[in-house]
Amino acid sequence: MQRRVSDIGPVERTPLDSPYTISTDLYEALRHIPHDVGGQADLPVPYLEKEEENWEMNTYVTCECLAWRGVWNAEMRRRAENDLGATLYFGLPYYARWATVATKTLIDQGLITPDELSAKIDEVRARLRKAAS
Amino acid sequence: MGAHHHHHGNGHSHDDHEPIREAPEISEFEVLELAVRELSIEKGLFSAEDHRRFSEWAENIGPAGGSRLVAKAWTDPEFKRRLLDDGTATCAEVGIDWRDPTGKGTPSDYTYFYVLENTPDVHNVIVCTLCSCYPRPVLGMSPDWYRTPNYRRRLVRRPREVLAEFGLHVPPSVEVRVHDSNQKSRFMVMPMRPAGTDDWTEAELAAIVTRDTMIGVAVPQVDWTATRAPSELGGHR
Repeated sequence: MQRRVSDIGPVERTPLDSPYTISTDLYEALRHIPHDVGGQADLPVPYLEKEEENWEMNTYVTCECLAWRGVWNAEMRRRAENDLGATLYFGLPYYARWATVATKTLIDQGLITPDELSAKIDEVRARLRKAAS
Repeated sequence: MGAHHHHHGNGHSHDDHEPIREAPEISEFEVLELAVRELSIEKGLFSAEDHRRFSEWAENIGPAGGSRLVAKAWTDPEFKRRLLDDGTATCAEVGIDWRDPTGKGTPSDYTYFYVLENTPDVHNVIVCTLCSCYPRPVLGMSPDWYRTPNYRRRLVRRPREVLAEFGLHVPPSVEVRVHDSNQKSRFMVMPMRPAGTDDWTEAELAAIVTRDTMIGVAVPQVDWTATRAPSELGGHR
């Protein structure tokens, strides 16, 4: 298990009440940026090989094309992933993080609107479902 | 977004005792990527041709380029000197151009490339503790485990233990150097040429220089080939 705030925080909490004091461990966890994990304690896991799936390769290429044509750069992408917060950063598959921050960045920059995105997602999903049936 | 699995009328019952099954038909992430890509193209942020050209490059990169670099360096001391002096430029001698596929390189890899030479006294291994920086133009796309927070967490603090999990036991007399990649610097390990390969051709040598030996989690063995992963030959994964 990765070390998350929820793993070392108190089991019982008062609802969203700022505490007077917190442990050093909890403070370290709270102020730590999610992506900088070098040296953190963890237990061995099997390191698995995994074939890149089509959507993963496409996500990589889409993100690179956005950078190639000046929408963002790799540092902005990584920063945006970091800003997802620990729950999403560690909770999403690797390329799902990329896809998520590409989407957020396009919306944040006003290059697409949430309505356009919703409509396009519905359209794509319907098209894929039709093709699969 | 897509972390849950929809069951879109695929006809199976929702019996509580039924094992949970993935719904394989449509991935929400595939939908999201397509939506973002199509909107971007419609808005003129990049072109369908850009995506095609970049995909073609990405599908054709792989560790074979790195294997060629190492094999050539093993057989040509002058080439090795140039490679260690200026990795980025010397790659061009084996047909790897860091400016591909855009003319200015990939947006994620515009960088300086260093080749790290293993010696009887020093074993090198690479990681990216901040993300997943990797020399894509030379080694292809990184393996999934290289990107995991677990590898990134543990390699810097306990490299010998992690290497042992890959089946590589580095003697205490050999120094282990962990190189943390970043946006500006990418690394590749040049493993030592194994004994018993004196009369081998460059192509034969390249075949035993696997991806993992250039990451530094393995060393070349005379009975390995690049098309058979160490894990298939009994290496622990």
